[in-house]
Amino acid sequence: MRSIRRKNFTVFMLPSLIALLLVLAIPLGYSLITSFFNTNLKYQGLGDFVGLSNYASVLQDEYFIESVVTTAKFTVGVVVVEFLAGLAIALLLNNIRKGRNFFFTIIIVPMMITPIAVGLIWRLLLHANLGIVNYMLSLVGISGQAWLADSSLALKTVMFIDVWQNVPYMVLVILAGLVTLPAEPYEAAAIDGASRTQSFFRLTVPMMLPTFSVVLLLRTITALKTYDLIFVLTRGGPGTSTEVISYHIYQQAFRYLEIGKASAMSYLLLLLIIPIAFLFVRISRNRTA
Amino acid sequence: MKRNRIRTAAFLLAAVMVLSLALSGCGKKSDAGGGDGKKTINILMEDVPDTACVAAHLEEFEAETGITVNIESVNYSSMHEKILTQMLSSTNAYDIIVVDCYWVGEFVTAGWIQPLDDLIESSGFDTSVYIDSMMNMVGEVDGATYMLPFYNYMLSLVYRTDVWEDEALQEGYRQATGKELTVNGTMEDYVEACKYITSVKGESLAGAVMQGLRPDPIAMEWCNYLFSCGGDFYDDNGDIVINSPEAVHALELYVDNMTNAAPSGAPGFGFDEAFNVIAQGGAASYVTYNWMLPKLQNASESSVAGLCDIAPMPGGVSLNAGWGWAIPHNAPDAELSWQFLQWVESFDVCKARALDGGSPTRSDVMSDPEVLEACPYLATVQTIMEQSKMIPIMEDAPQLIEVLGRELSEAVTGSKSAQEALDMVAQEMQEMQ
Repeated sequence: MRSIRRKNFTVFMLPSLIALLLVLAIPLGYSLITSFFNTNLKYQGLGDFVGLSNYASVLQDEYFIESVVTTAKFTVGVVVVEFLAGLAIALLLNNIRKGRNFFFTIIIVPMMITPIAVGLIWRLLLHANLGIVNYMLSLVGISGQAWLADSSLALKTVMFIDVWQNVPYMVLVILAGLVTLPAEPYEAAAIDGASRTQSFFRLTVPMMLPTFSVVLLLRTITALKTYDLIFVLTRGGPGTSTEVISYHIYQQAFRYLEIGKASAMSYLLLLLIIPIAFLFVRISRNRTA
Repeated sequence: MKRNRIRTAAFLLAAVMVLSLALSGCGKKSDAGGGDGKKTINILMEDVPDTACVAAHLEEFEAETGITVNIESVNYSSMHEKILTQMLSSTNAYDIIVVDCYWVGEFVTAGWIQPLDDLIESSGFDTSVYIDSMMNMVGEVDGATYMLPFYNYMLSLVYRTDVWEDEALQEGYRQATGKELTVNGTMEDYVEACKYITSVKGESLAGAVMQGLRPDPIAMEWCNYLFSCGGDFYDDNGDIVINSPEAVHALELYVDNMTNAAPSGAPGFGFDEAFNVIAQGGAASYVTYNWMLPKLQNASESSVAGLCDIAPMPGGVSLNAGWGWAIPHNAPDAELSWQFLQWVESFDVCKARALDGGSPTRSDVMSDPEVLEACPYLATVQTIMEQSKMIPIMEDAPQLIEVLGRELSEAVTGSKSAQEALDMVAQEMQEMQ
């Protein structure tokens, strides 16, 4: 009996194990190895073993450190705004009876566009001199801005675009959680004379906490890895005002071809993400339990 | 128990190997000399007017040879990465690629493009017809020929004749500064004139539109300021002089023009956005690629058609740049690739491309009476080219452009002074050596 179970386990697990090995373990292992070598794509082979010097050099790289700070600002900013906006919209959609599907369909459209296309669309819309955004603002007497060319505005603009694209994701997940909440506690609260605000903070928030945690953690991980929007919108500029870690790694790998150093940077980014991922897994398990 | 484990492990390992072998056969294969006897040539090119000029004549080659040619035309920003991944594979999906001038050192050092000398010798192809500066830039490296020059994108000053020759504007400028409003002065004169035009015309017409996007657009544009102010990357002894007083002055002028003459969005403009501004009548001048002029003079693409001309950079020295045709080291059939290159770089095809608005690299095409009659600006282009300089051919040139773009952008935003920015470039150039 045990032998049959083991056989079944092997047969059913095998495809997943192979897929994981091919797409995850091998690249991860290879990049870990290259992070200890001065590997450069211009030259064949791994290059010379350099120990931890790639890591040391990355940690001394002022632009990498700056990109960590920019990434932190970006991540905190977009995740908080997206969560609050997503929650507000989900609550509104949850309370309307007529046309919910219609509004829902419209709201999730940005999520279905690839970030590259989103970047290109917004780059045209935000053209400081020929873009429609500044034109519309001028119609109501507001002077246009150099949204992507002013170093004090560029990061905020990129964050706004990211929010525009990712709020639907928040809405989708939070609304899915809201519709599954039981009606009884709310009915009991209403009988006891609880206000809407009290119901929200005493019932909705505690019951939705696992959903909130999961959606915040998932979005934090993806925000930390943002690359495509930056590539299309600003290339890290003006100056280094929008240079995030992933863009910095891209430059190191595909422009400088220094794969060893880029791998070291990627592992440092992974060190940032792993604790968040573990937290996510733990919360998911607790939720399931 | 132990045997079972070993058996399971062996089974897993075998399955991984079989799957790997199966997947290795899933890559895109070139059709060159394919089994059905029909030959196909795949070319990776940038989405620019010269590519369209080549594409317009492909039917002639296909009718002549029976070979199908596929051009994959992509945006510049994704070209380097696309080529890179192909070069690292055992076989290349492309039979021919085009190589930007500042990638040459990197590609040759890495052995990604093959020398063409044997093919040139066996076919008797004449490379002496190319303009020397083009051959030195996107042709030969250390005495070996790796590329055939495809088109030149030397930068120069494209300007609005109706603005710079406007009598009221000229008179106003004369009274304000005691100088003539002209594009033929020094860099200092040019920046002063641009600022004046912007101050008079306001938001409706900027003295200059500029391309401040990192890394290539800003680096390419600033190189014209650098060379025209007497600066360079290296001096005759090979010492780094990118932070010389001339270079610092060039950057100060660039920042001054960007801040006080260019449209507010210019620090984030790539060449397409900058082009759109001047094409819609929003700027009086643009330091740009010479092939932009035919586009600006084309009424279907520009509202200032017929009102533009090209001039040497104020200060006299432009950035010379261009693209070359190359055969990847792992191309499926080099002979087939060469057959196409001979055809596309023949006098007749090059002339036809030039008449379509292409930017020639052959001196016999550049001086052909029929071409000059159709494209009179090419005479000026040839003169400018004689006074131009190029980005040094070095294996780390793409890295240099990244660093330069970043630091120039830092100077434009005011995060660093011109001296600090260029000192950083010099320091990183030193580390590259």
